[in-house]
Amino acid sequence: MATEIQEIDLKTDEMIINMGPQHPATHGVLRLLLTLDGETVKHVEPVLGHLHRAQEWQGQNRTWFQYQALIDRVDYLSGMFTSWAMARACEQLDGVTVPERAEYLRVIVSEMNRITSHLLWLGTYLIDLGAMFGFPFYPFREREKLFDLLEEIAGQRMMFNYIRIGGVLRDPKPAWFDKLKAFLDEFPDRIDEYEAIVTQNPIFLKRTKGVGILKQSVATDFGVTGPCLRSSGIAMDLRRTRPYSVYPDLKFDVISFDKEGDTWDRYMARILEMRQCVDIIRQAVEKIPTGDIMGKKQMAGMRVKAGEGFAAVESPRGVLGCYVISSGGEKAVRFRWRNPSFCNLTILPELLKGCPLSDIMAIFGSIDIILPDVDR
Amino acid sequence: MTDEAKPEDVKSDAKPEEVKPEVKPEAAKAEAGSPDAKPAPDAKPAAEAKPVAEPKPSVEVKAAAPAAAAAKPAAPAAAAKPAEPAKPPEPLEPAKFGQFLKEHGIASERLPDSCGVETIVIAGDQLEKAMRLLRNSSEIKLDLLLTVTGVDSADTFDSVYHLWSYSHLDQLVIKVLLKKADVAEGDLPTVPSLSNFWSAANWHERETYDLVGIRYTSHPYLRRILNPWDWEGHPLRRDYKQLVDALNDKNPHSMR
Repeated sequence: MATEIQEIDLKTDEMIINMGPQHPATHGVLRLLLTLDGETVKHVEPVLGHLHRAQEWQGQNRTWFQYQALIDRVDYLSGMFTSWAMARACEQLDGVTVPERAEYLRVIVSEMNRITSHLLWLGTYLIDLGAMFGFPFYPFREREKLFDLLEEIAGQRMMFNYIRIGGVLRDPKPAWFDKLKAFLDEFPDRIDEYEAIVTQNPIFLKRTKGVGILKQSVATDFGVTGPCLRSSGIAMDLRRTRPYSVYPDLKFDVISFDKEGDTWDRYMARILEMRQCVDIIRQAVEKIPTGDIMGKKQMAGMRVKAGEGFAAVESPRGVLGCYVISSGGEKAVRFRWRNPSFCNLTILPELLKGCPLSDIMAIFGSIDIILPDVDR
Repeated sequence: MTDEAKPEDVKSDAKPEEVKPEVKPEAAKAEAGSPDAKPAPDAKPAAEAKPVAEPKPSVEVKAAAPAAAAAKPAAPAAAAKPAEPAKPPEPLEPAKFGQFLKEHGIASERLPDSCGVETIVIAGDQLEKAMRLLRNSSEIKLDLLLTVTGVDSADTFDSVYHLWSYSHLDQLVIKVLLKKADVAEGDLPTVPSLSNFWSAANWHERETYDLVGIRYTSHPYLRRILNPWDWEGHPLRRDYKQLVDALNDKNPHSMR
């Protein structure tokens, strides 16, 4: 009495599901409107703006000096870079030359900031993939050590406001450099530790290898930059391709992979970048000259010369640009941020098309966006 | 509220600025000394003085609106002064990209360089053709669209495009200027959208529509992106009035 199993052509209706805005893995407040067919993603519409704080409007309604203190919040994981982009844009307009020591300090603190940003990404990405217990504490341990160092010179743990128009805020004491060197000696071993847990972990490989492949043509069409782009085989790193500050004096190569990158490649690009940062900081600490740290006195009533300028820096997420129009008054006429997160997020609907529901977080996390940077 | 206070502020600011045009050309000359400045040295200061003169109209427009009779006699006199040095606004020689577009039959007007970057103005109906050319031609290959921005200038709405390349160092700023006088009351200025052939423009155009209120025609999904979908007005405009009093929580959208 064997029961016959009949094959029935089961049809499923498309279903629309809200993912977020209060989803734990959206790194902030992002709402994804998913159109699902069974477990396959048909269409995704990101709905932004839940963290919109009108950063550009504030730039036009606050004095230059006031706004400088606010912009770390544009991307709170890499505040140094937003400050640096604004400082460069305004220095261009003003024709201020920044003392060399200040430039070296900028490089050192920004690269430290880049490591902290990647470390946070590493910890939370593993949570996204289901490694809930234990692992995230390892990268956060080193991140705190770096934040202690940054706090010592900037006075704040994450909202540094350290890079100012014309230079940097404080000159660290020699003892600070010793502490930094001690950290740099220790840190590569810690990266080995993470890699021992993650890189060849079979579960991690299954979740990431061959998932979310970003083609070069798609990446260039959508204006993707940063590690996502480099892991897809286009070697564009502003620090090398459009060198600014003292990066030409430091030796390092652009990290890029020779193919179409998947999620695992984007992970690897960031791991390699952290090792590279250690190298860059070491060189900068050795080469740093003595001298002034401010090229222009900072005052509450400071003004920037009339004109318009665009400056960009390579942030942990990509090209972070700042477009400033000044009329010579005490406030800017127009501030515009070119945020890497905002631009990189545009590829999400493209990458998610046709992938299973369970891959959404693996792919989304690997782009490494930060929502305040998207919404401003 | 702050908008009411502005005209007086700006007016008091305007006084010292009247002296400025004499000072500015020197500063402009210093800038012209940079290696990027190619045009004839005598043409440069005249054109460079333009940005100084530009904020002027905004002062007059703003002052004229609330207090018409009092401000009007002062306005033409102020306007006449900076106009004299800028009177023969000799058009700048087209540089690399302007020349390239000219060869392909697209007219463009060159503006003074912004921090050493070539800046050109293109008519709205030529924009799509020009962008396709600049992006796809193998000799130019400006294939990275960094941003699309809207700027509410004194008497125009500007749609600004920053072009870079993935493979070389050239950069270009393209502006489409839309005269406010041409825009009918209650209408939005329009520019053709790029997002049908350049996906990078999609969200930037939505953002510019949202914040500055420039309508990108034939955009596939022109909807507010940062503000709520039912928001009224375009916050980065000069005449934007905050409908809701956020400080005193008289916001109809508020849940409290």
